[in-house]
Parts: sequence; structure tokens; C-alpha cells
Amino acid sequence: MSDAVALRDDPSSRLTEAFRAVAARMRGLGFVNPALEVEAVGFAPWEDCWLGVMLTPWFMNLALLPRDPARWQPLAVGEKRSYCFPAGVYEFIGAVDAIVGDYQMCSLFSPVLEFDDQATARRVAELAREALLDAQNAEPHDYPEANLAPAAPAAPGPLAGMQARVEAPMSKRDFLRGRVLGPGRESPG
Amino acid sequence: MIETYYDLMRRQGISRRSFLKFCSLTAASLGLGDAGAQQIAQAMQTKPRTPVIWLHGLECTCCTESFIRSAHPLAKDVVLSMISLDYDDTLMAAAGHQAEQALEDTIKKYKGNYILAVEGNPPLADDGIYCIPGGKPFVDKLRHVAKDAKAIVSWGSCASWGCVQAAKPNPTRATPVHKVITDKPIIKVPGCPPIAEVMTGVVTYILTFDRLPDLDAQGRPKMFYSQRIHDKCYRRPHFDAGQFVEHFDDAGARQGYCLYKVGCKGPTTYNACSTVRWNEGTSFPIQSGHGCIGCSEDDFWDKGSFYDHLTTIKVPGLGGAEGTADKIGLTAAVGVGAAIAAHAAVSAIKQARSKTRNDKVSEVEK
Repeated sequence: MSDAVALRDDPSSRLTEAFRAVAARMRGLGFVNPALEVEAVGFAPWEDCWLGVMLTPWFMNLALLPRDPARWQPLAVGEKRSYCFPAGVYEFIGAVDAIVGDYQMCSLFSPVLEFDDQATARRVAELAREALLDAQNAEPHDYPEANLAPAAPAAPGPLAGMQARVEAPMSKRDFLRGRVLGPGRESPG
Repeated sequence: MIETYYDLMRRQGISRRSFLKFCSLTAASLGLGDAGAQQIAQAMQTKPRTPVIWLHGLECTCCTESFIRSAHPLAKDVVLSMISLDYDDTLMAAAGHQAEQALEDTIKKYKGNYILAVEGNPPLADDGIYCIPGGKPFVDKLRHVAKDAKAIVSWGSCASWGCVQAAKPNPTRATPVHKVITDKPIIKVPGCPPIAEVMTGVVTYILTFDRLPDLDAQGRPKMFYSQRIHDKCYRRPHFDAGQFVEHFDDAGARQGYCLYKVGCKGPTTYNACSTVRWNEGTSFPIQSGHGCIGCSEDDFWDKGSFYDHLTTIKVPGLGGAEGTADKIGLTAAVGVGAAIAAHAAVSAIKQARSKTRNDKVSEVEK
């Protein structure tokens, strides 16, 4: 513990401070919901990050921030990265702020005009964080397996296995790893 | 012996390797993954070819221009060899009476089994005289061909919504396809033009799986039209942080700030431009410094200037275009309110999920 890099604290207060300053600039714009205020909801550790929901009068976004700085890979502003959660693959967009530092967000609502009050918006934010981590919300890929009439299968020749492997699309990376030789025969490294 | 897409492609000189690459690429753009690629390959090798008749009404041919510039050179070769053989006024070799004969032959031979793709729309004023291909009003041709079609693809904003020729005062009474043909399944692929990868993706899906992809309440394929430009825009962090371009060419514009105040329609536009982008994933309007003009939305010509900023944003509803537009409050009845909040949260999470695997597409292309 002592020689490990110190883990970062809960970013909620830094986020709240930063977006309160933004809120002053946003006042009067059409998409701002005056019934809501800036609030960082449900920030808690997820993997090596802080995962929570950032709620402001103009958006509600999933947010990821560094917890273990050694394992955090920052993104440039506007750069995107996909993360796998139990509910599926989500693309986050990088951002930087003087107070908050690096953070990444994925939009849930913007504008947030459908919320009548802060309590409702906060509750939806909490439930959204839970829903993200619930595999019951995952969707299998939408392709209609049942619709495909089974073909009369061609009799596999002696070289069918190799043929299939040679013909299967393969990325350059997999090729260089030696994956063309078949599973379990990749070269190390 | 039935003719499959694969037979056809091989006859066109496309190698098996290229064919499999096409399957992976298309599966990736449809968000189907590796298993999806195998499904597509399997279907294309075994299912009989479905002919496509592509008609042009009042239009500018930008849909065709977009389509034949699909990112992967192979995609256009493959898809063009799939669709151009039967009838397309712009792309086919035949002309005049020979072409119209080809159309009649296709309708007869594949009665009830062909897909009708419509680019542009029919003008209904004065008995349809404002669009006369082959000596007859286009609306008659459209009805005639639609009668025996299995399904209809409305290409672009013209066929889907009406677009510029239906803008006020719409002197020719240009009318979108679904208001003329009401007894066939219709899939709308709006945009002016639609993104090439979206067009090839939709056509490939229909032809290989022999059914329409899941559509939203407005008839658009969910896989490409369920998220707004604003949701996935790379300038979104600037919106969130209140950093806006106030005037073109100001300091904010040079910093790549959000274009909302100079008229960007990203918050009200459902399309895949901010994920799939254009010209082989090179860029899209916002990336070149101009706001989205909302070209894939209904009535976009009559919604005011491209440079007026949105003063009212219609709440898209819980879960985007699919959701209800009801307000959510916990105050009225606690039990009901809690259920609505839970529904809102789960809908939002499902809505925000990645729809197309663009990262995958770029990997295949390298």
C-alpha cells in the first residue's frame, strides 16, 4: 500500500465545482432546465476508474475518471474510446478541465428538459449507473439466425480446415502473432 | 440451379478472399461482429439472389453519387453487381425502349419477390406532369412497380420526407413515397444524401437476411438512426463545458468549440454522421467547422435558417426517438414515479449503447 501510487480521491466535489462555474455561462440558453442543478451522482470505483453520472441542467452523462493514475489512459479532447460494461459496449469521449483534469463521458440525456425536479433526475442517474452494470440490459446482436435456411453443406475435403483458415479474414496483427497456424500455436509476444 | 449473390460475384471476377472481406466489413458496419460476418457469407452463398429495381423520381442523384462511393472499393463492386443488373435508370447500360423492356421483364419474372428502391419522389400536381420518365408520369411508374414489390427502400430525404422539392410552397406537390404507396413495407433511409456505408449496409442486410432491419417509429433502421449527431459528436465535450463558437472564424471556432450557437442542428438530428462519418470515415460537416444542417430530418428546408441556433429543442423523449415524450416527476405518485424513473434509466442505457462498431470497420480496411 505504502509504495503503491496513491489512488485518486472521489472526483465528485471537483466535478461539481467545475460544472457550477460552467452553469453561470449557460444561463438563459434554450436547452437549460432551470429546475435542475449541478450534481455528481453515484461516483464509485469501477475497475481502475471512478464511474458515476454527471448531472447538470444541460446534460446527464456517464462519466469515467482516473482512480489509479498508473492505469489510466487519457484521451485527447474529442477522442473516443469504447468500454465494455455488462450492459454492452459504450463509447466515451475525452475531455479535460483545469479543475477536474482528465475525464471521459458518454451522453445519456441532453437536453434534460424532461425532468421535473432534481430528485427525479438524481434517481434516474442512480438507476442508470445500476442499469449499466446489469447484464440483463445487454442485447444480443440483432441478426436473424432462424431466417437462414440451412444450406446443403459442401462435403468437407481433407484440406477444408486449412482452407477455411487461409480464407478467413485476418488482421495484420493476428497474422504477425502467428495465429494463422491455428489456436494455441501463436508465437510468444 | 438457383443463382446466388456469391455466384454472381464470382462471375464478376470478385475473388473469394475479397468476398469474405466484404462480409466482415459489412457485418462490422451493421454492428454484427464476427458471427454476423459468417451469417452474411452463408446467406450470400446459399440464398437465391433478390433483384432490386431502382427508380428515380424528382431528385438530384446525390443518393446514387453517395452510394457508388462506398468506403470500401469492394463494397461498391459487390453491391453494384448485386443490384445494377435489373433496372436502374442511372447506372444500367440499357437505354430507351430496351431499358423499359428490362423493367417489365424483371417485374414479371420476379413478381412479388423484388425490392423496389426509390430515389426522389413523385410530384402529384397537375396529374404528375412535372416528372415524366419514359413518356409517363413518374407517379404511375412508381405505383406500377410498387404493386408487385416485396418491400420498398426510400432512399434519401426526398423519398423519405419530400426534401427541397417539397419545401414550401411545394408547387409541384412533391410527395414522399410512403404517402403514395401505403400497402407495402417501406424502409426510410433519410439524408441528403444518406451515408454510403449506411446505404450499402441496409441493402446488404435486406438482401442477405431477406427481411427489413428493425425500424423505429418513423420507419428508419434503428442501427443507423437511433442516436443523434449531438450524442456522439467529437465536439460534445465543448458543449458540456459551455464552450461555444459565437461567430464563424472567432477564437472558439479555431479551437474547435461547439457549433450550437451558430446553428448546429446536431441536438435534433438522428443520423450516423458523427460515428460513421463520410468519405471513408475522413470527416463530417461539424469536423470541417460547419454546424449540422439536419438534412436527414423531416422538413429540414422549412425549419428556418441553417445558421439560426435552435431556440427550442423538442425533448426527444425517454430513450430517444423511440421513447415517450412524457415529463418525468416523482412528485405526483411515488409508486408510479419510481417505475417511470426506472424505465427512463434503463431506456437511456440501452439508447446510449454503441450501435455500429466503427473501430472494427477501420481495422478491416487497413
